[in-house]
Amino acid sequence: MFATVTLTLFGGFLQTIKLFLLTLLFSLPLGLLICFGSMSNVRMIKVPVRFVIWVIRGTPLMLQLLVMYYGPGIILGVNIWGSGDTGRFVAALVAFVINYSCYFSEIYRGGIQSIPVGQYEAGEVLGMTRSQIFFKIVLLQVIKRIVPPVSNEIITLVKDTSLARVIAVYEIIWEGQSFIKSAGIIWPLFYTGVFYLLFSGLLTLLFGRIEKRLSYFR
Amino acid sequence: MPILEVKNLKKSFDNTGVLDDISFSMEEGQVVTIIGSSGSGKTTLLRCLNFLETPDEGIIKVRDDVLFDSRDPGTCSEAERRRKRLHFGLVFQSFNLFPQYTALENITLAPSLLAKEDGSIDASGIRNRAVRLLEQMGLSDRMGNYPHELSGGQQQRVAIARALALDPDILCFDEPTSALDPELTGEVLKVILSLAEKNTTMIIVTHEMSFAHDVSDEIIFMDKGIIAEQGTPEEVIDNPKNERTIQFLSNYNKGNA
Repeated sequence: MFATVTLTLFGGFLQTIKLFLLTLLFSLPLGLLICFGSMSNVRMIKVPVRFVIWVIRGTPLMLQLLVMYYGPGIILGVNIWGSGDTGRFVAALVAFVINYSCYFSEIYRGGIQSIPVGQYEAGEVLGMTRSQIFFKIVLLQVIKRIVPPVSNEIITLVKDTSLARVIAVYEIIWEGQSFIKSAGIIWPLFYTGVFYLLFSGLLTLLFGRIEKRLSYFR
Repeated sequence: MPILEVKNLKKSFDNTGVLDDISFSMEEGQVVTIIGSSGSGKTTLLRCLNFLETPDEGIIKVRDDVLFDSRDPGTCSEAERRRKRLHFGLVFQSFNLFPQYTALENITLAPSLLAKEDGSIDASGIRNRAVRLLEQMGLSDRMGNYPHELSGGQQQRVAIARALALDPDILCFDEPTSALDPELTGEVLKVILSLAEKNTTMIIVTHEMSFAHDVSDEIIFMDKGIIAEQGTPEEVIDNPKNERTIQFLSNYNKGNA
């Protein structure tokens, strides 16, 4: 039984990891784009971007998942997500990417705005271009400052992926719960917690190493 | 021919006049010190010269080269600005070293980037020059240190070397010792004095009156955005004529009398 459960949960966990990694892959860079938008001097860009961030951060991720999956079909009358497991997974991924890029964008913005203006001015008087100043001076300082809040957000993402089950993406908790009905046992559900703990433990170690790598300057 | 000519410079922020018709000139190798109370426009003047602020009106000329003329929009463009500002170097009150680079890297960064643009890759030449500058600053044993491992005085000396590395025609100092405790002030002033002895053209904003007296060829006293008095240190500091200058220097001169 233990082997069966482990195998089933592992299958669910692969879905979880897939959703986790793909969300990060798209939302980390998209967050930077949204961040620049929210700091734009052009009102036509800044205002709508800030509005979207407000909506996404101000409503539950679970609601966003439901709207993302059912919304197009009901409102437009076309199922843009395709059918079956793949369609549901893609809808969940899109909802996660939008949600997390908004959170990341705010972390980036805080990081960028925390860099003293003197750093930019020092670069300017040394004849550096705006992009040289950003990439050679500011960026690494921003990265150093945002590693703790970003890692916090990433560990939250590991656990948030379980919300995808509301549109029937078979992630690990879904699989664990299935044993309650099929075999009348609850321990697989606890077992899922072990997967989460191990994975977030691994991430904690990784982020600790990154912080240490960047500790050579202040 | 003067190395720097400033004519009728005006600058205001949100309708508050900060610089009101500033004109002065200086010769190569001269040291000009700007004194005056906080809010008199000293720092804004330096920032205008370094293109960190754009003057509302006026002309800035280095030798024959018109760097800025408010009536000629061609001189105000962003792209032009980058190369022109290299006529000036600026040492900040708060040092503004780049924390993720060593003392040596802080100095080589900008010259390396400029050299790359020009297509001349002389990494060892740039490095050797930076090493020499740090030696000149008395920091040969600190080249590999990061800014947070240096004292304020050492950081400021690295910042001076960094500004010198680009060979500016005129080196500007914006209250270079104001962020330092008195013990560390001396080592920075000594470096500036030694630069003056080598005939480095410098404009210094400072509140260190006896230092200003020793280092300067000319003193400019600024008050409410205008040059209230100007002359040799003996004229302006020892025998001020203007009422505001007398008032401003009263504490200093009392102590010396």
